[in-house]
Amino acid sequence: MPTISIFQEDFCGLIGRSASMSDIEQWMPYVKGEVKDVSPDTGEVRVELQDTNRPDLWCVEGIARQIRSVLNKGMTPYAFFSDKKGAKRRIQVAQGMEAVRPYVAACVSLGYAMTPEGLDQCIQTQEKLADAFGRKRETVSIGLYRFASIAFPVTYGLVKPDEIRFTPLGFEEKMTPQEILTVHPKGLEYGSILAGCERLPLLWDSDGQVLSFPPIINSRELGEVQLGDTDLFVEVTGTDLSMVVLALNIFACNLADRGATIESVDITYPYKTEFGTTVTTPLDMNQSQRISLEAIEQALGMPLGSEAIQEALASYGYQVKATRQSVSVALPPFRNDLMHVMDVAEDVAITRGYDSFSPIMPQTFTVGSLSVEEQTSDRIRDLLVGFGFQEIFSNIMASHQELVDRMRIADTEYARLVEVDNVMSQTYACLRPSILPCLLRVEAQSPRAFYPHLLFEVGETAQLDLEANVGSRTTLSIAAISANSGANFSEIHSYLDLLMYYMVWPYELEPVTHPSFLEGRVGRIRCHGHAVGYIGEFHPEVLEAWQIDMPTSGFEFEIRKPEA
Amino acid sequence: MNSPNNTDSLHPLEIQVLRALGKDPQPLTDLQLAQHTELAASQVSMAVGWLLTKQLVSLTSETTTTYVSLTTVGTQFQQAASPPEWILQTVKTAAQEGSSPTVKDLQGTGHFQPTELSRAIGILKKEGVLQLGTGGTLEATGQASATIEALRSLLNRVHEGSRPLDSFASDHQSLLRQYAVKRGNTQEPFRIDDHTERAYCLTDEGRNLLPHLREGAAQEISQLTPELLKDGSWRNVSFRKYSINLRPPRLAVGRRHSYREFLDTVKYKLTSMGFQEMRGELIETEFWDMDALFMPQFHPARAIHDVYFVKNPQKAKTIPEPFLSQVAQVHRDGGTSGSKGWKYEYDSERAKRLVLRSQGTAVSARTLAQNPPIPGKFFSIARCFRYDNVDATHATDFFQVEGIVLGSDINFRTLLGLLQLFATEMAQAKEIRFFPAYFPFTEPSVELHVRHPKLGWMELGGAGLFRSEVTVPLGVTVPVIAWGLGLDRMAMVALGIQDIRDLFTSDLEAVRNMRRQF
Repeated sequence: MPTISIFQEDFCGLIGRSASMSDIEQWMPYVKGEVKDVSPDTGEVRVELQDTNRPDLWCVEGIARQIRSVLNKGMTPYAFFSDKKGAKRRIQVAQGMEAVRPYVAACVSLGYAMTPEGLDQCIQTQEKLADAFGRKRETVSIGLYRFASIAFPVTYGLVKPDEIRFTPLGFEEKMTPQEILTVHPKGLEYGSILAGCERLPLLWDSDGQVLSFPPIINSRELGEVQLGDTDLFVEVTGTDLSMVVLALNIFACNLADRGATIESVDITYPYKTEFGTTVTTPLDMNQSQRISLEAIEQALGMPLGSEAIQEALASYGYQVKATRQSVSVALPPFRNDLMHVMDVAEDVAITRGYDSFSPIMPQTFTVGSLSVEEQTSDRIRDLLVGFGFQEIFSNIMASHQELVDRMRIADTEYARLVEVDNVMSQTYACLRPSILPCLLRVEAQSPRAFYPHLLFEVGETAQLDLEANVGSRTTLSIAAISANSGANFSEIHSYLDLLMYYMVWPYELEPVTHPSFLEGRVGRIRCHGHAVGYIGEFHPEVLEAWQIDMPTSGFEFEIRKPEA
Repeated sequence: MNSPNNTDSLHPLEIQVLRALGKDPQPLTDLQLAQHTELAASQVSMAVGWLLTKQLVSLTSETTTTYVSLTTVGTQFQQAASPPEWILQTVKTAAQEGSSPTVKDLQGTGHFQPTELSRAIGILKKEGVLQLGTGGTLEATGQASATIEALRSLLNRVHEGSRPLDSFASDHQSLLRQYAVKRGNTQEPFRIDDHTERAYCLTDEGRNLLPHLREGAAQEISQLTPELLKDGSWRNVSFRKYSINLRPPRLAVGRRHSYREFLDTVKYKLTSMGFQEMRGELIETEFWDMDALFMPQFHPARAIHDVYFVKNPQKAKTIPEPFLSQVAQVHRDGGTSGSKGWKYEYDSERAKRLVLRSQGTAVSARTLAQNPPIPGKFFSIARCFRYDNVDATHATDFFQVEGIVLGSDINFRTLLGLLQLFATEMAQAKEIRFFPAYFPFTEPSVELHVRHPKLGWMELGGAGLFRSEVTVPLGVTVPVIAWGLGLDRMAMVALGIQDIRDLFTSDLEAVRNMRRQF
């Protein structure tokens, strides 16, 4: 979810009327935006945009366009999408691009002199689109150039990593693409996108001047747009043609909204694309489609009628064609997010305002219930609270040190854990297979809390089980410890015995050896014939590892679903 | 305590001290009080402490005097002999027997520490009382030792009772200091320390109470015992009245964890509204965690939050059919859901990748695939994990309260109705607002904002109608509401917590002190 900066004055210019801060806030539902911060002095508004399917709204021009459309009850189509005269300029795509970065889209923007706010917004849009929509430039990246210096046609082709030299943005000297990948900050940041490519993508003009090394960096000569520049060349390259074209459409509309005249560019491919071998961009990819009014009315729970729905959709920017039998709609060319009639239904609801729909209270009768596991947990919790135990509630993620090393079970069969691959912090690198370490953590951190300490937790644990479909099982366990100067086996056994009595779970203790507990003072708990857990006095080495000075004993066992 | 002092609540010790002070026109010191009341010094100091807080007595003077007293070592010296005394005697006795002991011989007897002996020998030699013979032997010169005499007289005088240091002559004072316990040498006969003597008198209020002091307070008892009950003798005693406003001692008791108790009320509320609990596994496949929820495998919508991947094994063995094929189809081209789909080649292997459940909605997706009853209402309180830096607003694992409602009558307005019900039931909110929202798996999507009576306007939850791309591949043909409630902020305010990590704190004192304010 991108957060962007817009400026009140700039915004007002784009919607063509004055707007107060509270107006802007009130209109935010139309763009699924949330105002995060307002600076009244500078007129800056920080807006978070929620919809990952509406990259056209990740810029002030797009937000203004959507709101303008609703306020004006519709929008005039952008003429350049239906320009049938054919483009004056061309990009030739070279052989071999299909294996590296297959698609490019471009346009020319004339007659809009770059203002400071215009340039800032252009850069912000370029970054947000390439970063969030283009997956950090992997699928989409964007370049802006000074149009006047470019000799068309432009070639989008491949070069050997050290075949050519040009001056990249941010540097004074000429470098090869290979040098850029190893030295330039952008090369280091985005170079992995081109990993394994023997030849690298490059845009150059008919005079042999380099425009850019996509998706890494522009050339300094052609690709450094400055304030006051009136004519721009815009290109988008990437791996998904629809996304590449959509990003260019958005950029073209943004510049048009600021007063530029947009001219198309022909892209000629030596291979087939879903839009043919010559693609004229910007390109309106949306086709008109019939929608079921009934489906929309049913979904919204309101018989709105054809006219109201048409009006709402037109207001929201759709192109609507109605015949007596049906209604066809098309999204505006800067959007590409219509997958299902429900997407249309939501736009109707947004245009009309969610508050205009009166809620209907649920009428259907259903029986509520808790799961058997939860009911059993609650009974155990009630009993232990009655026995005088304080309930503890822990995180399920913990460190290897806590779960294994401090429990004295390193390199034993008990040390089998579910671990995470992408560790963020060693403190939270594993899922707990047992709750006892969580209770010992509390004891270790609480020597100053007055004694006795009787603690318990009922909760989920993860058992590594390579037989299981997902390689592990989620189990429900009860663990309890007693820490006080007189804590011993007999005391904790009394609590276990009482718990088992009231739960009506006959159990046996089987003498075993367990590294966490003192030899001869530990037992395996067997219930209904299953080994379900352990009870014992913690080994002094375990207590030392936790830096616990108090004798501590405890038990833990898995709560099994009663067998059918 | 603001309440007037009541003589009934006075402790017998307090009464005795008050009486003693009342009898004497002069202020009395602790020592005098102990003598007059025949109480132990500790009892007097306790009673005086209480009376001072009740402002029934006041401090009139405070004088600090330096006292000399005997240590246990000093008592031994006084009863037997001090080191110089013993050395001189031993040497003299040996001489009568015709022998001259060496320093080593004296040390060999085990009397006194070697350092003490050498100090004493040094003093005696300096005084000319002892002299060294050939071979290191010690011989008495026959001269008397001033130190031995002075020490003897001091030991005897101090033995009678501790005395002020300045009651001794100045040369004796320096001797006392020399032989007094110091840091690093505790084996000395004298102890010199400061005694602060405080004198007290009655305040006006204390004096006014005097006529009302009850008689026979000393015979009052504080605790009724089984014996008193058995033989009926409780009839002959009187029970001391307590100061009932004193803070009672703390107890260590059994108690539910406050945050879990909060979640308990949520689950009972939901079951009372007709919701049935669902449970799921902590470890999920990407399939159920995301693909089944129509979050495309390679698309910005997937990156809405980051997940933890499992290290070993990395993949599940299988994804159940027909769900895998149907979900793959809906991602590719929409299948039979009426959607165009995401239009990409679905990767069935990636679907098996194991992750820590990142959203409770995964539990709902599994329920949808299990041929749930229609109409049906379900909820889960599911532990979820996000790959995020842990800070005051992000916990490593946390609970999501979420669920689904299935029914042929479900639409956008019944969705709003359900949210309105949540607002009143969960947050006691009368004012609510709905905002458009985005979730990858619902359309339309709503954000519910409510005015909580204590917290003001807050986001309570998000909801929507599950996309057909979610329900149809899982075999559900009726509309389904998917909802989630964000209750942690409410819980934190109710529990007086600022940092989300404190919901799962390991500090027992904090756990014991946590309580719900509303």
